[in-house]
Amino acid sequence: MKIAKFKTNINCGSCIKSVTPFLNSLDNVDLWKVDTNNPDKILEVELDDEDVQAVINAVTNAGFKIEKV
Amino acid sequence: MEPQLTKEHFKVIGMTCAACAISLESYLSPLDGVDYVSVNYPNQSVAIHYNASIISADQIKNKGKEIGYQILIETNSETEAQFEAMEQLRLKKLRYKLTGAAVLSIPVFILSMFLMGVVPYENWIMMLLSIPVLFWSGGEFYRIAWKKASKMQTNMDTLVALSTGVAFAFSVFNTIYPDYFLSKGIPPHVYYESAVIIITLILLGRFLEEKAKGKTSSAIKSLMDLTPKTVTAIRNGEEVELDYKEIIKGELIILKPGDKVPVDGNVKKGISFIDESMISGEPIPVEKTKGSLVFSGTINQKGALRILATKIGEDTMLSQLIKQVKEAQASKPVIQKYVDRIAGIFVPIVIIIAFVIALIWYILGPDPSYAILILITVLIIACPCALGLATPTALMVGIGKGAEMGILVKDAQALETAYKTDVLILDKTGTITEGKPEVTDVVWLNDTDIEANEEILLAIESQSEHPIAEAIVNDLKAKYTTQFATDTFESLTGLGAKATLNNQLYFIGNKALILEQGITISDDIVGKAEQLTEQAKTVVYFVENKHVTGLIAVKDKLKASSKEAIKAIQNMGVEVYMVTGDNSKTAEVIAAQVGITHIKAEMLPEDKGNFVKHLQINKGKIVAMAGDGINDSQALAQANVGIAMGSGTDIAMEHAGITLMHSDLKQIARAIQLSKATMKTIKQNLFWAFIYNSIAIPVAAGILYPAYGFLLNPMIAGAAMSMSSISVLLNSLRLKKKNIQ
Repeated sequence: MKIAKFKTNINCGSCIKSVTPFLNSLDNVDLWKVDTNNPDKILEVELDDEDVQAVINAVTNAGFKIEKV
Repeated sequence: MEPQLTKEHFKVIGMTCAACAISLESYLSPLDGVDYVSVNYPNQSVAIHYNASIISADQIKNKGKEIGYQILIETNSETEAQFEAMEQLRLKKLRYKLTGAAVLSIPVFILSMFLMGVVPYENWIMMLLSIPVLFWSGGEFYRIAWKKASKMQTNMDTLVALSTGVAFAFSVFNTIYPDYFLSKGIPPHVYYESAVIIITLILLGRFLEEKAKGKTSSAIKSLMDLTPKTVTAIRNGEEVELDYKEIIKGELIILKPGDKVPVDGNVKKGISFIDESMISGEPIPVEKTKGSLVFSGTINQKGALRILATKIGEDTMLSQLIKQVKEAQASKPVIQKYVDRIAGIFVPIVIIIAFVIALIWYILGPDPSYAILILITVLIIACPCALGLATPTALMVGIGKGAEMGILVKDAQALETAYKTDVLILDKTGTITEGKPEVTDVVWLNDTDIEANEEILLAIESQSEHPIAEAIVNDLKAKYTTQFATDTFESLTGLGAKATLNNQLYFIGNKALILEQGITISDDIVGKAEQLTEQAKTVVYFVENKHVTGLIAVKDKLKASSKEAIKAIQNMGVEVYMVTGDNSKTAEVIAAQVGITHIKAEMLPEDKGNFVKHLQINKGKIVAMAGDGINDSQALAQANVGIAMGSGTDIAMEHAGITLMHSDLKQIARAIQLSKATMKTIKQNLFWAFIYNSIAIPVAAGILYPAYGFLLNPMIAGAAMSMSSISVLLNSLRLKKKNIQ
């Protein structure tokens, strides 16, 4: 189990909704959460493996900006 | 080119009797751009196919409004709820109106029957009591009748409005000017009691009818109940309770033990067993682990699962199922089309007859006021309501019952014909057998390079969707992890496949393919193939550059219930044939195992279709065909009754009128019995409806009067009218309780 944190521009509830299918469908993601109150909109992901890139790709595909913290 | 037709199914508000359905249908049918209209009265809905570039749903809605019906054109679950709410409100209003009518009618009845000449101003009192009954409780009859009349149309409301209106007008005249008839030596009768009691009884009939109508569609409601109201999902890392409608595609949903699966999806996490009896008929729960597909309407058993929603809302399996049942209930059997035609001309004819008879009575009768009485009675008794309810209510119950048993009727005509079946044709693979063949033998003639051969075999077969190819792939998959790609691939329906790989031409398929390609086979291979087929194994030939280099034998197990089921069908007097694309040896062995003597083997898809046609045209048989594959679809469409296996291909289901969810042949016998029971109910209903009118109208016209001095009381006529509708409904509901083995 690995916890990875990312800086994103997932701003609000409806952004979360649009990113949901992308993150949910990742096989190695167990749980994820975006803290929209944090100015950096931190996305915290519990990963089964080390594949951080999959998360970055998924969020990018959903149309958001993401970078590893 | 065929224009693209939009096929929709709308709910309709405001249809009060079967004749309304006919009127709406005949009003919408001739519209430009409308291709097909079928109105279902008990279901209160209309199925319509239209060309959206010529006419819009809005225009259709407006057309409906012109003759007084509200068509709900938004087809989502919200309209469903809206429709429910409006129906509830209507039923509530109807109850108030009925109660009001009953409360006011009783004193009128007592005054006219027992206290005639006792109470002063009795006629005036009765008139005042009657006004609200007629124009509030019964106001709808007049409104609808008027709307219809202005379009030169009639329905049963016309009959009610005319008869009670005439009775009331005549009575009011005699109340205000009693001297007019008196001066001519005729007692000035009033018929307030007839008018109000008729309104009350017809309202009562309608009220009971509404209640019973709700019951005929309970099968759909029980399917709808399989959708949970709320679901638990994980949103942004937190478990939240969501409304069913809020689920989005890709939602991560938590299923606790006992939860209904809300949407179609696949398992992301967890292990559990799911009861899928609702879709597969299998009573044993199916194990679900990561990646397994789950379907809406099934029920999670013991474990907890996290599933990813892939299909939501209208796209789920359950929604499709509900839609299909609804469409089936709205489809019309041939018999209904005749009934509609009769019912449509019935009302105007009755009005003419009633006035003619009244005229005869006026001229020949002992007392001219009898003419009014006769007019009222004939108009009331002739309402064709029972006639209009006879077929659709029975069908709705029959189709609903079928759905509960896992027999999905797509087309009412299939249900109408199934009981007449003379010949049942069964496809072998997937219908009589499991359709999940397993590889038993692999023989390579040049055993130099088995591995290379098998890898090529795997490469080609993995592109085919045929169950035999699937079996071969399953067998080889474990052995070879890497896979080649073919350069070209072509599926030859009913024969096999053709592919090129490394500039070599390969064929994989059955004997027919070998013959078609003109490939010669050595005696050695023929002998080996024969040996295998004698064991009821299907032989697949592997051809490299026009030489047979390998044989693969595949065996398909019989379904456990096939033998018993076929016997039951034969005992019903139905000839059972087996058709298969497989070779005759295998076919014979399987046929012998299940007790079938008529076999047609090595049939191509078009052969199957032609064979059905041959039996229909040359032998005059009613043919039912059961199959599961794409190769059966032609025969399924050609047959009088096409029966698809629920486990089979979508194309087969599309071409068949009936789909068996359980894919179990015992269901065929049940479907035939269901058809028999439904048609029996329809015929009983029609018989009673017709017999009622053909006896009651002459009696109402006073045919018994010259001989026995008997005249039918208009009030009794009203009660009898309502009773005939109710008896038809109850007879249809009886079908629900019918035990079908």
